[in-house]
Parts: sequence; C-alpha cells; structure tokens
Amino acid sequence: MAPPAQSQRSPSPSQPSGKSEVTDLKTQLRQLAGSRAPGVDDSKRELFKKVISYMTIGIDVSSLFGEMVMCSATSDIVLKKMCYLYVGNYAKGNPELALLTINFLQRDCKDEDPMIRGLALRSLSSLRVENLVEYLVGPLGSGLKDNNSYVRMVAVMGVLKLYHISAATCVDADFPATLKHLMLHDPDTQVVANCLSALQEIWSSEASTSEEASREKETLISKPVIFYLLNRIKEFSEWAQCLLLELVAKYVPADSNEIFDIMNLLEDRLQHANGAVVLATIKVFLQLTLSMADVHQEVYERIKAPLLTLVSSGSPEQSYAVLSHLHLLVLRAPYIFSSDYKHFYCQYNEPSYVKKLKLEMLTAVANETNTYEIVTELCEYAANVDIPIARESIRAVGKIALQQYDVNAIVDRLLQFLEMEKDYVTAEALVLVKDLLRKYPQWSHDCIAVVGNISSKNVQEPKAKAALIWMLGEYSQDMNDAPYILEGLTENWDDEHSAEVRLHLLTAVMKCFFKRPPETQKALGAALAAGLADFHQDVHDRALFYYRLLQYNVSIAERVVNPPKQPVSVFADTHSSEIKDRIFDEFNSLSVVYQKPSYMFTDKEHRGPFEFSDELGNLSIGAEATNDVVRANRVEANDQDLLLSTSEKEESRGASNNGSAYSAPLYDASSVSAAASQAQSDSLISNLEVAGPQASFAIDDLLGLGLPAAPAPPPLKLNSRAVLDPATFQQKWRQLPISVSQEHSLNPQGVAALTAPQALLRHMQSHSIQCIASGGQSPNFKFFFFAQKAEESSIYLVECKINTSSAKAQITIKVDDQNTSQEFSTLFLSALSKFGFP
Amino acid sequence: MLQCIFLLSDSGEIILEKQLTWHRVDRSICDWFWNQVISQGDSFKQQPVIASPTHYLFQIVREGITFLACTQVEMPPLMAIEFLCRVADVLSDYLEGLNEDLIKDNFVIVYELLDEMIDNGFPLTTEPNILREMISPPNIVSKMLSVVTGNSSNVSDTLPGATASCVPWRTTDIKYANNEVYVDLVEEMDAIINRDGVLVKCEIYGEVQVNSHITGVPDLTLSFTNPSILDDVRFHPCVRFRPWESHQILSFVPPDGQFKLMSYRVKMLKSIPIYVKPQLTSDAGTCRINLMVGIKNDPGKMIDSITVQFHLPPSILSADLTSNHGVVNILSNKMCIWSIDRIPKDRTPSLSGTMVLETGLERLHVFPIFQLGFRIQGVALSGLQIDKLELKVVVNRLYKGFRASTRAGLYEVRS
Repeated sequence: MAPPAQSQRSPSPSQPSGKSEVTDLKTQLRQLAGSRAPGVDDSKRELFKKVISYMTIGIDVSSLFGEMVMCSATSDIVLKKMCYLYVGNYAKGNPELALLTINFLQRDCKDEDPMIRGLALRSLSSLRVENLVEYLVGPLGSGLKDNNSYVRMVAVMGVLKLYHISAATCVDADFPATLKHLMLHDPDTQVVANCLSALQEIWSSEASTSEEASREKETLISKPVIFYLLNRIKEFSEWAQCLLLELVAKYVPADSNEIFDIMNLLEDRLQHANGAVVLATIKVFLQLTLSMADVHQEVYERIKAPLLTLVSSGSPEQSYAVLSHLHLLVLRAPYIFSSDYKHFYCQYNEPSYVKKLKLEMLTAVANETNTYEIVTELCEYAANVDIPIARESIRAVGKIALQQYDVNAIVDRLLQFLEMEKDYVTAEALVLVKDLLRKYPQWSHDCIAVVGNISSKNVQEPKAKAALIWMLGEYSQDMNDAPYILEGLTENWDDEHSAEVRLHLLTAVMKCFFKRPPETQKALGAALAAGLADFHQDVHDRALFYYRLLQYNVSIAERVVNPPKQPVSVFADTHSSEIKDRIFDEFNSLSVVYQKPSYMFTDKEHRGPFEFSDELGNLSIGAEATNDVVRANRVEANDQDLLLSTSEKEESRGASNNGSAYSAPLYDASSVSAAASQAQSDSLISNLEVAGPQASFAIDDLLGLGLPAAPAPPPLKLNSRAVLDPATFQQKWRQLPISVSQEHSLNPQGVAALTAPQALLRHMQSHSIQCIASGGQSPNFKFFFFAQKAEESSIYLVECKINTSSAKAQITIKVDDQNTSQEFSTLFLSALSKFGFP
Repeated sequence: MLQCIFLLSDSGEIILEKQLTWHRVDRSICDWFWNQVISQGDSFKQQPVIASPTHYLFQIVREGITFLACTQVEMPPLMAIEFLCRVADVLSDYLEGLNEDLIKDNFVIVYELLDEMIDNGFPLTTEPNILREMISPPNIVSKMLSVVTGNSSNVSDTLPGATASCVPWRTTDIKYANNEVYVDLVEEMDAIINRDGVLVKCEIYGEVQVNSHITGVPDLTLSFTNPSILDDVRFHPCVRFRPWESHQILSFVPPDGQFKLMSYRVKMLKSIPIYVKPQLTSDAGTCRINLMVGIKNDPGKMIDSITVQFHLPPSILSADLTSNHGVVNILSNKMCIWSIDRIPKDRTPSLSGTMVLETGLERLHVFPIFQLGFRIQGVALSGLQIDKLELKVVVNRLYKGFRASTRAGLYEVRS
C-alpha cells in the first residue's frame, strides 16, 4: 500500500496548479455573481462543486470567500447547502468576511420553507465567530418558537453551539430555561432529546460556578423528569434512546418498586435492533440491581441471550465492542456463560482482534464441566495458520491449566505441543510447562522426560530459553545431561543477547552445581567468569554476588540460591478486583474496551460532558475563559495531558508506575508495572509472583515528613498515604458542614512558583495533603485537597481557590472531626505559606 | 459525542472531512492514523477502537474505505461503531455501492446526508426511509426526472412527513395502485466441524426482511408456526413488544419499502446439509490431499453455488491439485478456491493432488481450514416457518409473497 500523497493532502496554497485554478475560479464566480441569466444556477452549481472539492482535498480556497458570499443569493437549495458548508468551514478564519454572510443567513432564517429555515439556522450557529454572537440570539430565539419541529430541533443544538462560543450570552438570553420548558413540553421527541443533551452539557459546565445550575443538573436525574422521559422512550429515535438510557443509569431509585417499574418499562429495549440501545439498557439493568443480589443474578440470565446475539450478528467491529463488555461480565460472573462456551469458538475468517478476545473469553468461562471441550478446541488453534493466534491459544491452554484442579488431560496436551516441532509452539509450551511445574511439582516426572528431549538449539526465543534453563537448573538431578547442556550454553555466553537468559543461566548453573558438583564445576567457573565480565549491570552483580556467596560458605549459598520451594498456589492477577469494579461502574464506555478505568487513560477534563457524578472532573470546563486564544492553549494543553495520561492519582502511586505515566494511552500500564517490578525483583523465576508494584511507595512522602515543621508545629499528625476516591470525596463534601472558611494572602514567592497547578500539588503532597482535583487558568486556580489524620479515619477536605493576580487564597475546609478543624486549618495554612520557599 | 468524521481511501487519502462540533479536529490526526496503519500492518488497521496521542479513534473499513471518527470525551464505544456502520450502510445504499470515485462524484450528497444524520456530534436519524424523503438518492430515475422537469435539485422541497407523524418511521400519506408485501426469510448457517469430523457448533442467524408497498397506515401481524425454536430475537423499532411476549406474534406498522423486520438466532442445530471430508497424508517432504464433498442431509431443494476455499499453509512451496468436477484456482496469496456449484447426480466431487513442502520439513504441522460456501433457495434450514400474515384493515387486492433462502455463513471444516 502506497504511502499517502503528502503534497496533495496538506493545505498548500503555494502549490502552483492549485493557486492558478483558485484564481480562475475567482474570476468565474465574479462573472456569475450579478448575473440573472437563465441557467446561471447550473453553472454556479458546477463552480461551487469545484470549490468544495478543492476544500475537501485540502486546498485553501478561503480567498474566494467574498465571491462565494456574493453568489449566495439564490433560491436553489443545493447551492445554498454548498454555500453553507463553505461558509461554515472558513468563517472562523475570516471573521470580518463572515460578517458578510450574516445578512443572507438571517434572511434565510425567515424563509417560508422550514427546511431552509433550519439549514440557515444550523449554518448561522456553526460559524464559530465570537463577535457575531449578537446576530445569533434573535434567530435562535425565534427558532425555538418555530412551529416546525425540524427548525426547533436545529435551534436547540444551536443554543448549545452558542454556549460553547459564548457561555455568558447564552445564559443571559435565558436559553437554558427555554430548553428546559421545551424538554418537558415539546411534542416532538427529537427536540426533547436535543434539549436533554444540550442541557446536560450546559448545566454540568455551569454547575461549578453557579449553585442554581448544579441544582438544575440534579433535577435532570430526578424522578419526575426521568419517568416523564422514560414513558416516552418508544417515540425516541434509537440514538436518543441511548442518550436517555445513559441518564437513567445515573438515576438512583427510591425503592425496589421503582426499580422494577423501570425494568419492566425497558425490558423490550433488550430486543432492539440497535446494539447501542441494547448495551445501554443492559447498563441500566446492571446498575439498578447492584444492591439486590438475587435480582442481579436474574439480570445476568436475562441479558445473556441478547448479548450473545449481538456478538454473532453484527459486523466484526461491533462484535469486538460487545465482546469487550462480555469479558468484563464474565470476570464478575464466570458461570453465566459457562454453558455457552461454544459461542466463543474462533472462526477462521474472523479478524484477529475478535479471535483474541474470544480466546480470553474461553479462558474465563472454563470450569470443571467444559474444560475438556474447550481445551480440545484450543488445541486445534495451535496448528492454525495464524501464528499469533496459535500462540495465544497455547497460552490460553496454560491459563486454564493453572485455574483448574484436574490438570491430567491438559498436561498431556501441553506435552504434545512440545513434540509438534514448530519452534513457536515449542517456545510457548516451554513457558507454560515451567509455570505448571511451579504450581504442580508432582508432574515434574512426566514433563521432564519430554523437556529433556528438546534440543536447546531449537529454542531461540528468550522467554522460552529462560524457561528451559530454569527447568534444567531446577530438575538437574532428574535430567542426565543437564550439566552438559548448561555447559554448552555457557560456552556460547557471548552469543546470548538476552540478559534475562544470562541471568537464568547463572542461577541454573548454581543450582545444578549444588546437586551435581563434580560434573558442573567447570561450567560454574566458566559462567561466573563470563558473568563477572558481562557488560550488563544485573548480570555482573549477580555473578559477583554468587561468587562471594560461594567464597563465604557453600552450604549457605545453597540455602540462598536453591531453598526448598512451596508450590505457587495462585499467580498474581494483572488486574486488581478494585480496578475491575471501577471498570464495571463505567460499563458501556471506552474503559471497558481498554480494560482500565477512565482515570488511568483519560485526563479528567475529557471524562465527558455527560459525566454527572464526577463534578470535580468538570471543574476546569467551568473555569474555561471565553477568550479564544486561551481556549486554543487549553486544547493544546489537554492534548498533551492526554498524551502523558497523568493524573494526581498516579503521581501518588509512586515510582513503580512512572513507566505508564510516560506512555500513550495505548500502552498497557499493568504490563509496564509488571515488567518494571520484574526487573526490580531479582528476577529469579521463583520470586516472580511476589511482584509488588507498590513496593517502593512514594518516596516524596517519606521525605516530606522529614522536612522542618511549621514555626509552631501543631500536634496534629497526618497520614502521609491517605487514599480517597473522588466519589467519596464528593459525597462527603456534600454532607459535611463548612467548618472553616477564610481568605488568606499568599506570599509573592508562592505566587511566582504557581506557574502550573502541579507545582502546588507536589508541595502540598510533601505535607501529607493530597490533591484530588485541580483546574483553572492563570490567574484563577482551584484545588480540592484532602488529608487524613494519622492512625485515624477522620478526613479533612479543603477547597482552595487561588487568585494569583491578587495573591489571595480563598479556603473552605470541611472535616469529619470538628475538634481538630482549627489545628488542621493552621497546618494547612502554614504549609500553604511555605509554598515558594526553597 | 463524536467530534469529526473522516473518510479515507485505501491509500490513506482524505476523501471527505466532516467537522461536527465547535472543537475542530486537525487533519494531522489522519496522518498519525495512517502512519500507524503502515507501521503496524493489517492487524492494527482492523482494530476498531484505538487511542491516538490526542483523540480516541473509532474506525470501520468497508470496501476499502475507512470511516474514521474522532472524539476526546468518554462515550459508549458501541454507539460510535454502530453509527459508523449505519453511515456506511446508508451511503452504499444511496450511492449503490461504495468506492472512492462514487463518494468523490457525490460528495455533496454525502455532506448533506451527514448533516442530517448527526448534529453537534450526536446522531439524529439514520433511518433510511426518512433520509430518503429529505434527500433523494442520485439514482438514474431522479437524473432522468431532473432532465425532464428541469428541476435538478436532489433535495425534496418538503420536510419528511414522518417528523410530524406519530409513527416516526413512516410517512402519513402513501398511496399505491397495487398493494404488495413481500416477506423473505434469509438465513446464514455458521458451523464448525473439528479435526475428528465432529460437528462442534452449528448455528443459524436469520433475518426477516420485508418489502412493503401498502396504502395508508397499515397494521400488520405476522406469525410463525414454530416460534419456540428461536433463541433470541431483535426487532425493528416498529414491532410491538407485548404481542410477541405473550403470543409470539409480530404486530407492526411497517415502514414504506424495504426494511429488516427482525433478526433471530437458532442454536444447537444437529444436522448440516453438506459434508466435506479432507484427508491429508504427508510423507518425505510431500503431502497428499484428498477432499470429498457430498450431500449429508438433503434439504429437499437444490443446493447451488457450492465452493470450498482454503489457505495453503505457509510451509507449502507448490501444489498440484485436480478435481473430477468444478474448477480449482490457486490465487497468488496461496488461497485455493474450488468452485463446484451443484453436486452432480452420478458422482461425488473430489479434489486431489500433491503438495510440496519446504525443504527440510518432513511432514505438515499446520493444517488448512476448509471454508464451505453454498446457497439453498426455497428453504430456511432452521426450520422456521411463517404461518400467516394479516392486515388489520383490509385494502383492496393485497398481494402477499413469501420466500426463504439459506446460505453458508462461517462454515468451516478443520483438518
């Protein structure tokens, strides 16, 4: 496939051919502009088409703006549409010229044809030019009152667009209230749906600055509104149904009757032809019944069939999205799909991303009753033409083996893989046999017999080679030629490029030496010598360590290097159950596809304008300046944030997660931390399962405690590792009364240091005060902090608004334990006042 | 909420760009995307949801055209994918096909369609019947009309009547001289036969497709003789749920024209119409293949368009295959296609030959998977049968037509 033709795609007015043609078009348009000759519309249409096709391929035709506007006086609707399209595209870059279009757009807004009224209004509100908003308010106002629903529908969206151009204008014109009225009274459901989506966005942005807006936002998920909308759900378009269902999922019913009412009302949505509706309904069902265990189980039974149909009926892309959700459900309730495992059999023609998920499903649903069939099926994939899938399926067999108690049949299959003489099959199988032996040492006899026949020359992949070497070392007493194989490997030390393999080789030679000293002595000497000369730091260190151990005392060395081992009972899971729960809460969102909660891959501004529960997350939207330049900066900043995918939460997780902080969201954070910890731990295979990502906990915090205390150190001690999730924070913030509210002046150094919110966050963290959310643009910053009393559960919550131009901080503190509120506020202020001093 | 939709050609060129919100998405995102496609190969190209450094991208690929949608906010992924699928369906319906040239020739219509399908990043309507009323398709008939009448606009002057009617998928005043309704049962059979010749999975996915041309607002009921065999059903929004729940009757006011009334799934079928028996024996660097195809359970109707396809394993250097019936083709990508069409009465079609393995390889380790294709007109293999179709208010002369057909979906035989 050819690389994209760069020159053609980039907007390049300098392109000679493009330029001359644009001038050409310009003259032609001029000629047509005033003409009223018959047939002129047809020639205009041809020209417009040309202009738009240039625009589409990326040639800059903005210089034609004037001529296009002059030609726009026409009654031909296609011409109008093309003109609207053109104007919408270039108005933002040419605000002065855009003024020219206002006139004809406003006229069209009063046209007698509702279609033209609607289209003109849509274009007018899509101009995105700030100094033109005054011309928008009038037409929008009349559009909302139009007797045609198409125009009203467009006008409602127009209000939202206006809000994004100039929030103040939109609110001053009292449009939100009008929308609310329309939402509850308009006969047309598309108008209602548009109102709903517009109001959700407007009110969640406003909520952080206005009490009233946040109240209004709450009423959206109140019983009357929800039930009013639910009763009309069947009239809604399928997409509007999705929107409404998202809203319902946030509603907290008062009692179980309400829950059943809603579920009865929505049950037929599970049969809807649109998969998005089905999945949104499933989310509602699951969320509603979370607290009712038995009903929750029934829900699983009920949603099973629709989900399976979704998987098998749609396009592969749809299957992929649905399978991701199924996978999440299966992790929570493996038994529900255990009898439907055949649905997850891979078919040859399916794309590999679907196959991969299906393999994960098969692993997850395997239990005592279906293991045999599933493993038989998986073994067929091992001979698959698609090599990555063949590898995955062997790994899946291994995972199942490690889950099950009855591994008889599986071990035989794995050993058959070893005899298949396919290098990648052998490689994967070796790794698995190694894991299996660590869990079921009783199988060593059978396995070692087969492994012993494998020539180490046929194993090239580092992981497999490491596994083989580990087995050679571990079971050297059962394998006759183990010392000689190891010796051979040691001789080729310099050809071995993987440090992991060399590390294992060192350890294996040591183990072998303890069991069969006379045969191994030579190899050990060679290995230690090669290890000491190795350029890789870890290898060098380990060789030196072994050397000194042996020098000191051989029997102690044996106890260190080859202690008796306990079989591993459970291998560490890559996902904690807490994370799984978080993802489940975000059912029907991107989190499920990425298999991590949204805070791990989106920065908080992007968690969605539809996000209701997370008002902290929307802080900065409210603080967003109306100035265009600033907004552009913000977008850029956001983009970078997204790239780094950092959040305060991860910062406080300390060193081991830093790897993920520098990766794009594509990157799998869990594997990074696993890899990091693998590198940190001394990488003896037998120690792998202790992989503790939290091991090196925030060093900053520990250092922070050592800093000199405030001039008069208050007796209050804070927990340096306090943890609080945003939902609890919010809940507490709502419940607790304000204990301290005061204004505090900042010292100039502090103000100077506050170039970015992060600086203050780090500073406060060193005082054991954690930040949970922050936002704002210079000069206004807003922070939410929390802290926890040491050895007690009592929590302190702080809202801190800082204005850098006046050097003032407005502080509101809420606490669990009122007695210590003064002490905490002194501590907080002293910490704050030291900000900026080195 | 989607922020932008791009259509890309199979060489990565932007055919079309549609910005949806106040927040412009720069074209450079497509360069990023395409660089990833090139560097990561096909497996990446197919991944439906990907994260770029700045946006989340949803993509589907149809006929070489990549539909790419960008967003920065959290949203239900299935909604985005589903919407893109609908866009692709509507476009190929309008343009009668989907390729770069068709889109470029008709991009004004594509823009118009997108304008009505999505506003401010939120999908409005994707119902083809309604869209057709707002924007008429660029087919030959309308081109002819425009020549005759001189009115060359492809936008209808009126707004769709459905927006005002209480049945959003249907306009209020439709008149036909001949009232007709056609019901098609279209089934696809998915099956897996494993290495030991055991049928491990056999399932049917079916659709009830209706084409209705009836005056007024007709209220139809459709019933099956054996609805109990259906495992799961999904309905067009026009189907009323309660009658189905209580009596398994489909009661609905149909949209005008062609639409998919219902889709269903029937699992755990026990019999397959055609068997494929592969035999592979390898010895000293060559592999003999023998493949027989025959009728297992006669469905009672003619089975035609029978094909067997398989990928030769990568370790095979060359193959010499002959058959006693039909045509064998080996494509350059090692795909082997054996077209049988109908099974003759006098003999069993068989394919045989030898394949030469890579040097150094004694026997075959990776075995081909045979994919079977067939078509049967006149029978729905699930056994589903339509009982009757009734119209509540009888119009004069209603013509009713029923058809059924089954074809192979993912039907594979492993060796």
